[in-house]
Amino acid sequence: MSYKYTGSRGSGSMSWFLQRISGIVLVFVMVGHFTLMHYNPEMGHLYDRVYERMQNPYYQMLQIAFVVLALYHGLQGVWNVYRDFKFPSWLNMAVLSLLIVAGVGFGALGIANILHF
Amino acid sequence: MYQKSPTQEWASSVVRYKKFPGSWAWLLHRITGLGLTAYVLVHINTLASLQEGPEAFNAKMQVFMQPHWIFAAWILFGLVIYHTLNGIRIVIIDFGKGAKYHKQLLYGAVVIGLIVFLWMGYIMFFVHTDHDFLSNIVSFF
Repeated sequence: MSYKYTGSRGSGSMSWFLQRISGIVLVFVMVGHFTLMHYNPEMGHLYDRVYERMQNPYYQMLQIAFVVLALYHGLQGVWNVYRDFKFPSWLNMAVLSLLIVAGVGFGALGIANILHF
Repeated sequence: MYQKSPTQEWASSVVRYKKFPGSWAWLLHRITGLGLTAYVLVHINTLASLQEGPEAFNAKMQVFMQPHWIFAAWILFGLVIYHTLNGIRIVIIDFGKGAKYHKQLLYGAVVIGLIVFLWMGYIMFFVHTDHDFLSNIVSFF
């Protein structure tokens, strides 16, 4: 099995588009995240403050979306950088697999952190 | 005669290649992006202490309230603000007419980014801590 150019169907235009869309959404969520977490030092650093916020299921949903989007945008970005270089196809498969495993693994951990409340 | 290895050849071509403002913007966007992705993974892993209960989480967060970690967080915010503002620039270039004034957009992003970066530093070091800015810097080194 190898990862190689698969013609126009695999041009990467969809991942280009999704990278922009996820980026635009992340800009808004990040502004909210920084404002909320750093409005005062307690907001992001005391368990009780986190606990209070996490009682709202809509807030939990937003956080899950945040984790998924941030991981997608970040790991897709790493893949974009990697694909600018020429490497053997076995390494491409290994790196792609590693990124997918990292995305699923850290995504599951992040969602578990949120749903713990 | 001394022959460069492919890696050395690649490295020297990267250095020799003439860099325009857009090239620097592109390079910095990649470096900050890789750094931020690594940070997101660490961040999720750190927050796993939420599952261990209040004592474990608060003890861990107390570590990050130390001056040198606040300084590190400030630098991290610098990566975030650059990646965010240049990301907006990329969207304007790709979806709008930004290619015609992409350099001006970059200069604008740098100026706005520096102002927000310094403002955040003021909040983190003067407003949110008992220490003053200078002692934070000194204790970092």
